[in-house]
Amino acid sequence: MLKVQEIRELIKLIDESSINEFTYETNGTTVSMKKSLETKEVHQPVTVKQPVEVNTEETVKVESSNNVTEQDTAPTKEVENKPEEESKTYDYEITSPMVGTFYRAPNPESDPYVEVGSKVNNETIVCIVEAMKLFNEIEAETKGEITEVLVENGELVEYGQPLFRVKTK
Amino acid sequence: MESTRNQLIDLLARNSDRFISGQMLSEHLNITRSAIWKHMKELEKDGYVIEGVSKKGYRIIRFPDKVSENTIKWGLDTEWLGNTIIHKEQTTSTQHIAHQAAQNGAAHGTIIVADEQTQGKGRLQRPWHSAKNLGIWLSIIIRPSILPYLAPQLTLMTATVLADVLHNKGIEPKIKWPNDILINQSKVAGILTEMQAEQDQIQYIVIGIGMNVNHKQHDLPEDVNRKATSLTIETNKSWDINKLIQDILKQFEDTYADYIDNGFIDIKKNWENYGFRIGKPIYISTLKEKWAGKFLGIAEDGALLTTDKNGDTCKIYSADIDWLV
Repeated sequence: MLKVQEIRELIKLIDESSINEFTYETNGTTVSMKKSLETKEVHQPVTVKQPVEVNTEETVKVESSNNVTEQDTAPTKEVENKPEEESKTYDYEITSPMVGTFYRAPNPESDPYVEVGSKVNNETIVCIVEAMKLFNEIEAETKGEITEVLVENGELVEYGQPLFRVKTK
Repeated sequence: MESTRNQLIDLLARNSDRFISGQMLSEHLNITRSAIWKHMKELEKDGYVIEGVSKKGYRIIRFPDKVSENTIKWGLDTEWLGNTIIHKEQTTSTQHIAHQAAQNGAAHGTIIVADEQTQGKGRLQRPWHSAKNLGIWLSIIIRPSILPYLAPQLTLMTATVLADVLHNKGIEPKIKWPNDILINQSKVAGILTEMQAEQDQIQYIVIGIGMNVNHKQHDLPEDVNRKATSLTIETNKSWDINKLIQDILKQFEDTYADYIDNGFIDIKKNWENYGFRIGKPIYISTLKEKWAGKFLGIAEDGALLTTDKNGDTCKIYSADIDWLV
């Protein structure tokens, strides 16, 4: 079935297009979207029906507060801005260069390398990722302040997984 | 200066059955006879015993047991590994010195050796007991141009290097995943690898090797006594530490070349030949779950292959493994 991001993407594309109605069906899942261009406040209900599992009927409502005339000039602006508004507290993510165990401190008795609020620069070591007894000291590679620690000490992380969020300076 | 000294040792060693005149040495090395005499004094400090007889010349009587830059270099048959040797009689940890050296631009292949470490490091900075002159406390700096996510393979590679060196000396070692070297189920050597890397580029890797060599039972601290061993305990004889270091460096250089040219495939095969408890039940603990599985071998990338709770094959990159022995 479609992922939320994919549905979001579809809405965006349909929003930009001249299509008024859209239905997508695969493996018993139906996604239908309809534009209601008559009203000023546009509500676009998206319903994902999955007959196999009774309880998974979910409704994704996307609010698009722009009126029709605005939609003509900048149809996707609001939709695109949404995720950015949520991410105001950071603009950089430190990711893991390899699969392994995430350690916040050089050893269990030590304080973590960094906490939320810690100032970092390019060379600041922020954590260790260990795989097969290779200990990779991860540097921030940016200058700023840690705003979020995304992984728990001792947790397994994947290649490319975000570990910290940073508000750069 | 340094290479002159090595040439001098070389000349003396090749002629150790006879005296070689100061005149001849000075012609060969293109230095004055008084400079030769100064070199002789330095060599004596390193533990060489050189006999000097007037009108006959010099003869080398004894090579040092002592580890030094000279004694490792002499007879070292490598191209790049160990071209720069930093030797410390006592240091906190060779890893520590290696990090400093690497950050100051030490070349690929630089090695750091200590007679004694006061704060030898194990996994998660657990202390590693490294007594004076009894073992090999060695760190190797390399700067490979491989991608960082492949680097953990170098720790398994290094384990096969140590196992091969011991195997060539008639010992039958096992490798406990990923890289502990065991003899008769007791640990004789450990490897700790630390890396500084960016997302797509390795700045440097320091491979630390600790090997118990000439320890007698009472030289090992009691808390590790049951689980640790040494070459001497296992073989009832003492070992030449310089020679062992040279053999490790040579084997490392050869295996590393194979790894860079051909990847992990040969290493995997060799590793599995030494693999400890392949096919046996193990108990795996991660932060989130614990389960009993079977140790199936290692994957193409060096990960441990085991069975998950449903009996399906899965890969482990990092976990506490109870080997159930």
